[in-house]
Amino acid sequence: MALTAVATPRYRQRRMTTTITGATDGDLARAIAAGAAADAAETELYHRFAPRVRLYGLRHLRDEDAARDLMQQVLMVTIEKLRAGAIRDMDMIGSFILGTSRMLAVNLKRRDRRRQALLEAFPPEHPALRAAAAGIDEHALEGCLSTLAERERTIMLLTFYGDRSSREIAQTLGISEGNVRVIRSRAVDRLRACMGAAERAS
Amino acid sequence: MIAACVTPVSDETLVDYWSGALPPQQSDSLEEHVFNCPVCAGRLDAVASIASGITSLARQGRLSGIISRATLNQLQHDGVRVRVYSLSPGDVVPCAVFPDDDLVVTSIRGDFSGIDAVTISVSGSAPLVGVILDDVPVWAAQGELLWAAPGSLIRQMPTSRVTLTVTAAGADGQRIGEYILDHTAR
Repeated sequence: MALTAVATPRYRQRRMTTTITGATDGDLARAIAAGAAADAAETELYHRFAPRVRLYGLRHLRDEDAARDLMQQVLMVTIEKLRAGAIRDMDMIGSFILGTSRMLAVNLKRRDRRRQALLEAFPPEHPALRAAAAGIDEHALEGCLSTLAERERTIMLLTFYGDRSSREIAQTLGISEGNVRVIRSRAVDRLRACMGAAERAS
Repeated sequence: MIAACVTPVSDETLVDYWSGALPPQQSDSLEEHVFNCPVCAGRLDAVASIASGITSLARQGRLSGIISRATLNQLQHDGVRVRVYSLSPGDVVPCAVFPDDDLVVTSIRGDFSGIDAVTISVSGSAPLVGVILDDVPVWAAQGELLWAAPGSLIRQMPTSRVTLTVTAAGADGQRIGEYILDHTAR
């Protein structure tokens, strides 16, 4: 089928999107560095890594706003470095992003830097940020928690709300630390399965 | 399509990492793996979401089941409005739930010495018809069990009598006590 002048760009756009989605992380990094389909590659890279950087930030900074700041800073630095050809091993882009996350998290702990400029560069309505911010369905989680055994629910609550270590929980419940870990692992598995089923049903 | 992970991190390791219980070296290795593995990144995201979801539900008083005294103290510290009723075996206690109550906690007292776990059978009106809490862990060195229920749930109950029967879990099923709440709908 001959492509019309109008259809050609649409065809190219569709083909490029398919290619980008199936690309490896290294392929995306190379595309950004080469300036080939760079917008789509940058968006895809952002989609893939923004949630991981946010998780890293939440784990180390324990603050949603700080985690979001970190996410914006790390991805911006990464994309700038890629554009400038300053990253040597493109296939290790994940490790580069982790290293940048570690470095910038230390800075963020000290002070809130460049916040306004970054918000302007990557506004909160950026689609990748929306994807990363998608929270859990609390109503579904409430229902799924009620399906757990009492012991499982107790341990989940003590771990995540009470911030208790396995050892402390073991002492409280009079069971072994290993047992706490096994029960908790089973509870996480059940909750994840239950949440997956709830999501498919909705 | 996301390629499968050939060296998946266990759920327990992910939970340990998220709760800060993993030694630094293992923590670093896990991060290296997660940043290069979308499958495990997704699984860690699920753990993190569950963790934050549980915390959020607790802070809203949307909890059901047995909680520890430390958790109760933390809930009150976090501003959850908790109404507590305390019962010893054989007690009949009048109770009500008010519009501002986020959480209702029943303190079930008794002699739990030598018992690892109990079964609590709840009989009453909907939504507490035929509720059975099985294999409830008994806190070491504490003579009470704290049973939490969201205020929104209890507010659905008509004026009625709620009976809690507590027995030791296991083959002998030793009876520990019966506790009665006379609930008045408001």
